[in-house]
Amino acid sequence: MQIEHLHDAPSNSSTLMLNGRFDAHETDAFRATFDGLNDDGIHHITVGLGDVEFLDSTALAELVRGMKRCRENGGDLVLSSLSDPVRVILELTRLDAAFTIN
Amino acid sequence: MTDIPLENYRQWASTPLTTRPIYSVVIPAYNEEWRIVPTIGAIATHMSSLGEPWEMIIADDGSTDSTVELVQELELANVQLLIAEQNGGKGSAVRRGMLRARGDIVLFADADQSTPIEQFTALKSLIDEGFDVVVGSRSAEGSDVANKSFLRQVFSRGLNLLVRVVFRIPVADTQCGFKMFTAEASETLFQRQVIDEFSFDLEVLYLAKKLGMKTAECPVEWFDAPGSKVDPFKVAIEFLQNLAVIRWNDVRGLYKSANHELPAKAPLAAEPTEKTKTSTAPTGS
Ligand SMILES: Nc1nc2c(ncn2[C@@H]2O[C@H](COP(=O)(O)OP(=O)(O)OP(=O)(O)O)[C@@H](O)[C@H]2O)c(=O)[nH]1
Ligand SMILES: [Mg+2]
Repeated sequence: MQIEHLHDAPSNSSTLMLNGRFDAHETDAFRATFDGLNDDGIHHITVGLGDVEFLDSTALAELVRGMKRCRENGGDLVLSSLSDPVRVILELTRLDAAFTIN
Repeated sequence: MTDIPLENYRQWASTPLTTRPIYSVVIPAYNEEWRIVPTIGAIATHMSSLGEPWEMIIADDGSTDSTVELVQELELANVQLLIAEQNGGKGSAVRRGMLRARGDIVLFADADQSTPIEQFTALKSLIDEGFDVVVGSRSAEGSDVANKSFLRQVFSRGLNLLVRVVFRIPVADTQCGFKMFTAEASETLFQRQVIDEFSFDLEVLYLAKKLGMKTAECPVEWFDAPGSKVDPFKVAIEFLQNLAVIRWNDVRGLYKSANHELPAKAPLAAEPTEKTKTSTAPTGS
């Protein structure tokens, strides 16, 4: 999986565009990038999932963890441009209700 | 991006088939509460996007976790959930699923999406070319194996060599959990095969060769999924024992005819009648 990071300085927010399969092999890399942003005081983070065709439960748990961390700091983790399988996976796991999705 | 695939999925998820499915996807599941729901989501979305009637069969294998309840709660209209009282081994679970399948083309796929369902079409094109059995292969030219440990590679090489030499089965990867069959081949093979454990794959390929079926290998992408419950050492020893068992079964004539009955297939939903189609007249208050 590739992670592309785009930062918007005026709003102090970031976008992480993910590409590929997001599974347990990728959560360490994701966490390193994600926690790095949080440590730098960036708590509004959008995760782009348009080019992700599969998310396993470990990846979902990692996204939930990231969302909690952002919200604790007054921000949010927003999921955007979901691919069809990712949308269905979020629905079937009922996590679509937990996340902000745009 | 068009949302037609998503519409197809919604239709599939909510409305039971009234015509026989073209495709059946069988997923054996033993204590898969952690992995099964995302796998169902990915398979259901992709298979629905192909635009043909299809069904999913979850063959539980006596799971002691919440696998069965999770699948039931999804309330998907075209999922057959086969519940087993006891754990019988992957071979028994796959067999139960395959013998219930109603499609013209039947795939079995592991619950961990280690071979992504997107590879379905590549295997199917070989069935269309006239093959009876098409096995996903992590060794065939062009396959892409991510995260496979060195030890596992050594293991699979050794076992594959044995299979080729002792059994003369020209398949480099007998164990990949992604195999496709014509309905006829599937029923013939799974009615005969008797191994309930992980070596059933090998037995099925052995039988396919014995019965003169055309078998092809198709290179697939494969992700060594974490959370596998298989101990490779145990499997290797079991595999060797089963090589001998298959040979012995054949010598004593066990494979001459079916060893399992073909169960009755689930009936299709009735076509909506005129009465249910037209909205009922409002009743007076
Ligand atoms: N381990 C195990 N799996 C079973 C059994 N019955 C059915 N299965 C299913 O068989 C499939 C293969 O299971 P895995 O644990 O991924 O085993 P594997 O793919 O051979 O092993 P890996 O290559 O390590 O992933 C899964 O869909 C399981 O749920 C059983 O008795 N034991
Ligand atoms: Mg596996």
